Amino acid sequence: MEITLVLSALKVVGYGLGAIGPGIGIGIACYGCCVGTARQPELQGRLFTNFILGAALAEALALIGFVLAFIM
Amino acid sequence: MGALEWLSEEVPHLKASFDSAIVIGNAEFGMTQYILWMIICWIITCAVILIVSKKLTLIPKNKFINTVEYGYQFVRNDMGESVIGHGYKKHVPFLATLFFFILISNFVGLIPGCKTPTGTISVTWALSLISFVYFVFWGIKTHGGLGYLKSLAPSGLPIVMVPIIWFLELLSTVIRLLTLAVRLYGNMFAGHMVLGIFALATSTFLITGIQSIDVVSGVLTLPWFLLLVVMYALETLVAFLQAYVFTVLSSVYIQLATSAH
Repeated sequence: MEITLVLSALKVVGYGLGAIGPGIGIGIACYGCCVGTARQPELQGRLFTNFILGAALAEALALIGFVLAFIM
Repeated sequence: MGALEWLSEEVPHLKASFDSAIVIGNAEFGMTQYILWMIICWIITCAVILIVSKKLTLIPKNKFINTVEYGYQFVRNDMGESVIGHGYKKHVPFLATLFFFILISNFVGLIPGCKTPTGTISVTWALSLISFVYFVFWGIKTHGGLGYLKSLAPSGLPIVMVPIIWFLELLSTVIRLLTLAVRLYGNMFAGHMVLGIFALATSTFLITGIQSIDVVSGVLTLPWFLLLVVMYALETLVAFLQAYVFTVLSSVYIQLATSAH
């Protein structure tokens, strides 16, 4: 009982650690998108698509952590 | 605080209510509640699109038809033309189907009493498999079997780096299958879980406050309810955003697969 509890708590902690990097990455990507759009508003569509793509790549790591927390 | 303890006892029941349960038929030939709602969403999508496409006029007068036309135009211009570029027209029907189906599925789940079909991993897995097969098929059709495998690595690299980059690109291509499915599932499931917990907290605090004449619990009901309303608004945004993200990522993958490097 105790060991199961500790293991499931550790899974959540591991997911939390895994979400740090993608969080920072998406923050930087969003910053870049905002600054770029403010300087050149006519490029907004392409910048936003690139932002979504970059955020998706960064988010993949957090999602893998999410899956691992479930299946381990 | 009796209300908090009661809440923590209720959360496992809430979690169990998200598990797949057979509602029609038996374990061999039956369907779970998610599959039932997926079929309902499919019927709604088909009905909306078929009715609208029958009544299209050059000058739109009906507001509903105008809205659906705007949605289709949004998919065609923002996701098709601006992402895929040349030769986007043949992909628009696929993208529009994905977008409308996911959008209606996500929004149906927001109605109390309904289940969102995208809140289970099997439906999102099937959707991402469809998208994966589609862009690999178009990649192979454009470049040929070996040509598609070669085109995974961008050209102009130093010869030593090509195998490493190619392997990494192959890995990132295969992992798209996982990330597309889990992104949609995780967002919808977690959002509904949060909504459920806030709704449970509101009701447990209110009932405790009335039953045991506890003023603190009664007053705390109000912030819980406000949080619930705010989260509901956020979930409405997320429901649209996840449909958009799924479709735009599909079109980006199509563009990456079909463009000549």
